[in-house]
Amino acid sequence: MTLPYYEVDVRPILREGGEPFSAIMEAVDALAPGQSLRLLATFKPIPLFQVLGNRGFEPAAREIGNGDWEVIFTPAGQQPDPGAAEPAPAVDGAITTGEIWPAPVVELDNRDLEPPEPMVRTLQAVEALSPGQTLAALLPREPIFLFEELQARGHLWRGAFEPDGHYRVVIRRG
Amino acid sequence: MIGTALSRWTMSYFTAALIFLVGAQMVMVAGYGFPAVAAEAPETLILVHMMTIGWLSLLMCGALFQFVPVLIAQPLRGERLVLPALICLLTGLAALLAGFLQLAGVFDAAIPLLAVAGTLLPAGFVLICGVLGGTLWRVKLQRPARFVAVGLACVLVTATLGALLALLISGFLPALAEIDFRMQALPVHIAVGLGGWLSFTAIGVSYRLLPMFMLSPDRERATSRLSWWSGVAALVLMALASPIAALLETVGLAGAATAATGLAVVLALAALVLYGFDLAFFYRHRKRRIIELNSRAAQAAFLALALSGILLLALLATGTLERHVGALLYLVAFGWLTGLGLSQLYKIVPFLTWLECYGPVMGRQPTPRVQDLVMERRGWIWFAVYFLGVLAGTATLLVDQPGLFRAAAAATLLATLAIVVELVLARRLANVPDDKRLPEGASRPRLFLPTPH
Repeated sequence: MTLPYYEVDVRPILREGGEPFSAIMEAVDALAPGQSLRLLATFKPIPLFQVLGNRGFEPAAREIGNGDWEVIFTPAGQQPDPGAAEPAPAVDGAITTGEIWPAPVVELDNRDLEPPEPMVRTLQAVEALSPGQTLAALLPREPIFLFEELQARGHLWRGAFEPDGHYRVVIRRG
Repeated sequence: MIGTALSRWTMSYFTAALIFLVGAQMVMVAGYGFPAVAAEAPETLILVHMMTIGWLSLLMCGALFQFVPVLIAQPLRGERLVLPALICLLTGLAALLAGFLQLAGVFDAAIPLLAVAGTLLPAGFVLICGVLGGTLWRVKLQRPARFVAVGLACVLVTATLGALLALLISGFLPALAEIDFRMQALPVHIAVGLGGWLSFTAIGVSYRLLPMFMLSPDRERATSRLSWWSGVAALVLMALASPIAALLETVGLAGAATAATGLAVVLALAALVLYGFDLAFFYRHRKRRIIELNSRAAQAAFLALALSGILLLALLATGTLERHVGALLYLVAFGWLTGLGLSQLYKIVPFLTWLECYGPVMGRQPTPRVQDLVMERRGWIWFAVYFLGVLAGTATLLVDQPGLFRAAAAATLLATLAIVVELVLARRLANVPDDKRLPEGASRPRLFLPTPH
């Protein structure tokens, strides 16, 4: 017996310029074991493939007209790795675009470094990105000096506290 | 360019503070004020206020302007008031010191200097509290910030009482002349100033700074909560001891007043013991195995704090508190507060200098490490001399040896001067190897003035 699809239509959110990521992740969290997710979007959400792939979902995408896409995310059967779960990011006030960012090309763990090393290494990695690429970094605390430097250099970021008190930031090179 | 996250005037506050610290110690070495004259003599008051307002308060304010935004991840509000506050405090302090000189009969002036000080200093502290309180306002405060918030309330109480005392001595407020303020308000002025404003705030700052640089877990602990509550209760009891005493006397319970003060002492010591547990936790559970000099020297300051608590108990037990209160206050001011202040400056100044200089090129060019800005090998000698000098100074005061005390004060003065030189060298990037000092795009910070925008 297969469960019916859990359906999420993020097209209205995208058309209003909103950020659909958290709605999608909420839907993923609400899935019953073995249930698939049917996502409707205004573009082919390739970055999501990797994010949900990390959580054990396999995508099947097809164009459904008007440039819209339908993607079915089916659980692959294996136990999702909770460590790879993408948290719903608190969108920073500086960010107004609603687009989905590409998946991070680098994951940094800068938690156990003394200040200002977490900031140095994060900025080094950011400067190594190509414009538009993103990286994710785990930091010991909310990095206000880093934010200022990112802003000065024209990069975008989204960050949120992890349940264990660390701070995870995703930075997109401007 | 790092702009708002770096507090613009912090280095100026630090510079003024260090000048007063050096000046106060020179006065002590010269044998001016306590212990050569009585603890309440105008000469001593000059020394005391150079230390408490000139050095410790300016240091604390400068540090808080930088630190509070980091503590709550919010920008400082009302930063344009920071420089006027410094000007108010410096002119107010100058008037206060001149007023005491006038009181000592050194010169005669027609201006009521103490009354001027009694206006300017509270104005300065109100501005400080406006900026910091306004920044903390309506933010959900974690424990370290709560310590700071209590400290800010305490500085207002201290400044208000100080202003009252200044106006009374100047002959203003004749209506209040009948109240014995020396007995009623002075102990509160001292206890809330040293215990509430300076110590409580320093404790709050250390709750965040130490874990930050030693990589210790800094989630709130039950002991921190309890320490805060019992400290607050002690401060409230202390501040209200006189009104409580007056109230109890009217209902015939004169003896209960000393009980209120006694309870305040017990609660304050309990707060210190709990704080001690947290400190031990931070040091024991640090992820960074190497302890840098600032954290090492801070341990000596914590030891001085513990010794102060023990000395207080010993003096109370032997009934000699009144006779030796000078030694106790010296240990608190120089061992604990100044020791902690100098040790943290040894980290904060290089750190802020590093950010100011290398922040803009970070990740683009190789930069030196923060520790490349200091020479710990030299630095630890100065801190050792400093703390040994303070211990010796306390001992000589306890055994009434003013001559030896001046020798001990000379040792702390020399160590302080050496630490100041180290800070200037850090600020000048003098310890950084030539080829790494100024990568392209980095600019040398000014010594103590903000870089113009």
